[in-house]
Amino acid sequence: MRGLHGPRRWSRVAAVLALSAWGCDVKSSMQGMAVDPPRPMPTFTFTLENGAAFRTAPAPGSPMVLFFGYTHCPDVCPTTLADWKRVAQRLGDRAERVRFIFVSVDPDRDTPAIAARYAQQFDARFVGVSGTPETTFQMMTAFGVAASKDSSTTGSGYLVSHSSQVFLVDPLGRLVALYPFNSGWETLAADLESLL
Amino acid sequence: MRHCALIVGVLCVATACATGDPDTTADREARSALLRVGEAWARPADSGATGGVYLTIRNADSVGVDLVGITTPFAVSAEVHESMNHDGMAHMMARPALAVPAQDSVVMQPGGLHVMLMELTRALAPGDSVPLTLVFSNGLMLPTTATVRVP
Repeated sequence: MRGLHGPRRWSRVAAVLALSAWGCDVKSSMQGMAVDPPRPMPTFTFTLENGAAFRTAPAPGSPMVLFFGYTHCPDVCPTTLADWKRVAQRLGDRAERVRFIFVSVDPDRDTPAIAARYAQQFDARFVGVSGTPETTFQMMTAFGVAASKDSSTTGSGYLVSHSSQVFLVDPLGRLVALYPFNSGWETLAADLESLL
Repeated sequence: MRHCALIVGVLCVATACATGDPDTTADREARSALLRVGEAWARPADSGATGGVYLTIRNADSVGVDLVGITTPFAVSAEVHESMNHDGMAHMMARPALAVPAQDSVVMQPGGLHVMLMELTRALAPGDSVPLTLVFSNGLMLPTTATVRVP
């Protein structure tokens, strides 16, 4: 990385400080379960169906909304993504700047194509990713997400118990709030409106 | 599926006659009228994927009954499950015998009771109709139709 010198360097520092202060103000007004202090999250890289890389890196002006689930999930996962659809509709054009990301915790069954298709069924802008078991485990660990195959099986496979909250990461790549299942999509919509 | 239900129904009636079962056809019809299934809807899903159906069962009878099975020609199998959220974790539990108490209702809704359709044999698109047959512990088999819609 090239060094920064003179006024330009300080303007960049001031911009970062301003963003930090802005982040704090936003945090204090979160309607979800605020993460205090906001926790910087590592960047994870997934390979999409077409071979392109998808990274969960910070992006100016673009918060991330994440949920960890699996595509064989008939109830909690589709309920959550249907709520995201309502959130996106509420945000209107501003939803284009939000990265809605569904992360599969069942990479054994969910291929990148299946995960992508699943998310896009709800909204073409939603991203579904399924990584290697290692990437999946590392990301789940970073977010404090748990998942386990249930001992009881269904007629055609297994069920997965998994963390059911939605995570909000601000444009600086910091985890700022959690939303327990059934906490109401309006809460997430309100917090996104304050971030955008 | 309708034919199948009809055949089973005829067999039941025939068996009742042969054994002298007091549960006559008239009794069954009366009971059927007291047990209602409605407000059924399904989520859109791809062929081969897992589907979800929600419905309401109303039991106006003076005795309780269990929902013990569901069949549909649109999936390899169907089971009643219940989602539960504890300490931030979502769990699901199969409900092989779902009680519908006397003069009460069971309402399936997102985040709770639902019908899980496993290995859909065709895609479910908004506006489609999914035929279902609910099997109860008293021998009743009630057909219903779930409309596919985006919630």
